[in-house]
Order: sequence, then C-alpha cells, then structure tokens
Amino acid sequence: MAHGWHADFEQLVDEHQSMVFSLAWRMTGDRGLAEEIAQDVFLELDRNLGRMESGDHACFWLRRVAMNRSTDALRRRKVRGVDLWVEIDESHGAQVDEHASPLGARLEQLLTTLPEPQRAALVLRYQEDLTPEEIATTLDAPLATVKSHLQRGLKLLRAKAQTHLKEFVRDKGLVTDQGLTEKREQVNGF
Amino acid sequence: MDFEPGKEFESAKEFEQELRQALERRPAPPSLKHRLMEKRRQLQAERVRNATMLWQRMAAALLLTAALAGGFAWHSHQERIEEQARGEAARQQVLTALRITSRALNQMNRQLSARGRDGQE
Repeated sequence: MAHGWHADFEQLVDEHQSMVFSLAWRMTGDRGLAEEIAQDVFLELDRNLGRMESGDHACFWLRRVAMNRSTDALRRRKVRGVDLWVEIDESHGAQVDEHASPLGARLEQLLTTLPEPQRAALVLRYQEDLTPEEIATTLDAPLATVKSHLQRGLKLLRAKAQTHLKEFVRDKGLVTDQGLTEKREQVNGF
Repeated sequence: MDFEPGKEFESAKEFEQELRQALERRPAPPSLKHRLMEKRRQLQAERVRNATMLWQRMAAALLLTAALAGGFAWHSHQERIEEQARGEAARQQVLTALRITSRALNQMNRQLSARGRDGQE
C-alpha cells in the first residue's frame, strides 16, 4: 500500500455502496440482480484489498468492476433468452425508484432502452460525472468510441423522450386537449 | 424536478441537466451492507477452514508417505537379512558336503593304503 494509505473494507463499503449499486441497477434494470452484483463486486474487492493503492484507486477499481460485472450479467441473461428491459417495460416501470420525480423516472426508464454501450457511457457521464477520458479508461475503450457513444446515446435518448413524453403527458392527464396540442408543438421543437 | 408542461428540455443543456438529476446515485438498500459483511465473515471462516483442512491433508499425506517409505525400507531390510541368512545356510551346506566328501575320500584313501600294505606283506 503506497503513501501509508490503509484500505478499510467496511469504510470502502460505506463510501461506495450507493455508487456500485446504482451503476449495477441502471445497467441491468433489475434491483435484485444489482444487489447481487454489488455484493460480488465488494467481495472481489475484499480479495484484492491488498492491491489497492489509494481511495481513488479503490473507487476507480469498483466502478470498473461494477460495469464489467453488470455487462456480464446482461450478456448471461441474453444467452438465457431473457431480456431484462422487456421485463421492466412489461411491469410499467415498477422497478423505478418511488422517490424519483415522474419526469426523472421516465427519463431513467428511457435510458434503459438504449443499447448497452451507449447506456454505459451515459450512466458514467451523468451519474458519476466522469469526463469522456475517464469513461474511456473505466470502460477500457478508445476515447473516440466513448465520445461517439455519448453523442449518439444522448441524441437517441432525446428522440425517445420526444416521443414518450407525449404519452406521459397524456397518461398523467397533465394538460387538456388544447394544452396537449401546445405541448406536442413544444416537444417537437426541442 | 416535477413535471411542468411547457418547461422541459428547451435546450440540450437543460436536457442534460434533467438527465443528471434523474441519474443521481440511489442509496443502496440498508440490508446490502449487513448481508455483505455476513457473507464476508462466512467466506473468511470458510477460507480458514479450507486452509486448516489443507494443512491437515498435507500432514496426513506426509505421514502416510513416511509410513509407506518406512514400511518399504523395513521390508527391503528384512529381505536382505533373509537373503544373507539363506546364503549363509547354503554356504554351510556346501561346506558340510565338502567336509563329508573329504572325510569319505580320506577314509577310502586309508583303506586303499591298508590293502596295499597287506598285499606287499
């Protein structure tokens, strides 16, 4: 351990459990699976605790392993013929956090319909506030690819939001028919 | 951020801001840490148990190997002793046979000598 930094497992769990859990949940869309992944990630950290050089290194390591484990879990599910996000769609967003704002929850749901690499890039960018360079390092991908995923992901998400927001407005009965027409015009404009 | 018709996503920046808010970290379930620490304790205990078992097995294997080697060495030693005893017995038998033959020859020689003397007289 460099610079006298001492890895305290319990402290690392306290500090990073919400990060690892949120990454896994947003990548897999399955709360139960996200808990399992978070548990596995921290147990792996425990096995590799001696190799952690600093708090930042541990954080970077946790992020990277959480993303890899989530991707692996998604692929395993796909191999088994289960599409997690179809399940989420069918349950009408039952897994979305009840504390989230309706619009935020809707956006979060839409994010989960994006292709996996774009979703990963967006989650790291907007949840973890990482720069494209940091995302590239975390995902072990070329910077240009990450930038492209971010750009395309954001564009696709806005396009989806444009379509789905209309349904959302109608479902929630937030506007009258006349208002809805105005809303459509505004949504189409963004 | 509550939904307000007519106010959302007027610009890319605003959309990104909304996305950032929507993607704030979620608190992990309180049971996660508890289960994690419990699992860690179990794994550590298992690791200690496995290490102990490994040492016990290694010790048992070592003991067994030593016993087998000792048995083999003792058996070889016994065989060598028996072989030596058999060799010695055979040597004694040969020597006895030689002694008997020698005695018989001496006796025959003596008898022949006595007959020769009687003939001359």
